[in-house]
Amino acid sequence: MIEVCITAAQTVTGLGTGLDPLFDGIMAGKSAVAPVERFGTARYLSPNACCVPGLAAGEDSLLYPLLERLMEGFPAVPADCRLLLASTKGPVDLMERLQRGEAVDPAELPMERVLSRVAGRCGTTGPALNVNAACASSTLALARAAQLIALGRCEAALVICLDLVSEFVFSGFSALQALSPTRCRPFDRNRDGLTLGEGGAALLLMSRERARREERKVLGVVAGWGAANDATHITAPARDACGLIQTVRQALARAGLTTDAIAAVSAHGTATPYNDQMEMTALRALFPGRNLPVHSVKGAIGHTLGAAGGIEAALALKCLEAGVLPPTVGLIEPDPEGVGLVSDAAQDIRGDFVLSTNSGFGGVNAAVILGRGDA
Amino acid sequence: MSAYLNGIGWVTGTGCGMGSQGSELIFADLPLPALARRDVFAEPNQRFGRMSDYAKLGLAALAFALRDAELESWSEKRPFGVVAGTRLGCLATDLDYQRTVLLEGGGLASPNLFAYTLANCFLGDAAIQFGLTGSLLAVNETQSAGLGALTMALDQLALKEEPVVLAGVCDLAPPEPLADVKHFFPGAAFLVLGDAPGEHCYGSISMAADGGIECNGVRVESMAELIAAAVNG
Repeated sequence: MIEVCITAAQTVTGLGTGLDPLFDGIMAGKSAVAPVERFGTARYLSPNACCVPGLAAGEDSLLYPLLERLMEGFPAVPADCRLLLASTKGPVDLMERLQRGEAVDPAELPMERVLSRVAGRCGTTGPALNVNAACASSTLALARAAQLIALGRCEAALVICLDLVSEFVFSGFSALQALSPTRCRPFDRNRDGLTLGEGGAALLLMSRERARREERKVLGVVAGWGAANDATHITAPARDACGLIQTVRQALARAGLTTDAIAAVSAHGTATPYNDQMEMTALRALFPGRNLPVHSVKGAIGHTLGAAGGIEAALALKCLEAGVLPPTVGLIEPDPEGVGLVSDAAQDIRGDFVLSTNSGFGGVNAAVILGRGDA
Repeated sequence: MSAYLNGIGWVTGTGCGMGSQGSELIFADLPLPALARRDVFAEPNQRFGRMSDYAKLGLAALAFALRDAELESWSEKRPFGVVAGTRLGCLATDLDYQRTVLLEGGGLASPNLFAYTLANCFLGDAAIQFGLTGSLLAVNETQSAGLGALTMALDQLALKEEPVVLAGVCDLAPPEPLADVKHFFPGAAFLVLGDAPGEHCYGSISMAADGGIECNGVRVESMAELIAAAVNG
């Protein structure tokens, strides 16, 4: 198997453009939760979300200015790079406008068109694929990129993760009674639902040899990955966490690691009662007796849906470099199951590997294990 | 990398079918059949009637593929994966759902429809129906009409991530705003790929050095060509 390295990582979130504003913001306990101005929220459970400030699209989808921000200053992408996109709803704002009777070109709606435009902006020319696995989309896209390199199918792969805050998705989570009326509080005993967010992540993966040849700094390695389905419910997680446990075990096996090697966990942590309970069940089963540092970014930047795993993986690289896991913003009083794991303060990372997990509709679970890069 | 092709199932304009029944023509420019539960499952199924048309289509094709491979019935969950290629995914459901959002300022948005506004939604139903606990995901491709999903499935088998992976395509006819923009034959078809030959194995699927797909040594350029090569020899 060929070693898979990450040579560049960039994010755009409600806390700004770049990994430094994201990391520093969360370390300072900042949150991007604010009243939504993009559409009326009077009939919904919550007025709040984490939007990227200042996004303006004119006639186009907001997806493209978001992509533009993401790629500004991003290192050169090799033309032979495979492109893996992770987006659940793509240009959903165009679909909303079309349905309201506005003049929108329907040819812009299919993901095939989005893929072409993203490839054009990023300068990739090879086959491209959008991965749609609900809120685990970008973690699975990252895993697929790692598969391709590990098997020698390509030497480089670019993973682009993008999703927007839209009334379409906002209304749906509101109808499902899943939105927090105020702001989300991951792993809190009084958590009452999620807060939606938008954002993007770009991760450039290369074989170790290609990275060396191009003299690219290695930010981290994708040591392992896994995915499994609960096979229990369409929109709710398995109470016994069977899918997530299987997923993490696969990732550990792929990495050739035991649980002792994992130094911290970037959890999905949506702050819905059932998701967080399921994750705690999984972590207690996988890491019995350990007070492993665990955090969720959702209280700071919201649930960015298909982009979540990419943003969290990029942040995990920064955390490994800094040796610190940021606080779980929004957490006030930990759920009894989370005591000793989650914290409203930063926690030291004592080791070389971070586990990053996501779960989503359709019973999907996905995980990647990220290792430390060049010093 | 190669895998055994152990089952084929489809729902297209020519109707519902399985590889073992044979067929001269599978994908055609004909309307898809309106699927009822009894067309797919002999036993009552509480969820089927509430699914979106896209989800019914995908679930039905998966059911026929697993039935063809004699893998439909199960007593313990199985680590089988599914990779579903799709051009438009659940766009038709999205448009239906969005109509409910436009009413009463979103106050009447349908939670049941919303649950089907993801391209991978039918895979969750398939996981429950058939006890599938592998990696189940949908992919949109820029090239090669379903073969991207297939190559991904072959890689999963090569990495021994699952012993069985189903790969295929699932698309309704383009909904109204796209009817004049996108042209393809609607339908769903899935292949059951395994690391060992099944009872009614159709031969092997392999990936050439250039990434192209071959079925029993014959190069194919689309899922339709592949199925025709496997079923008709």
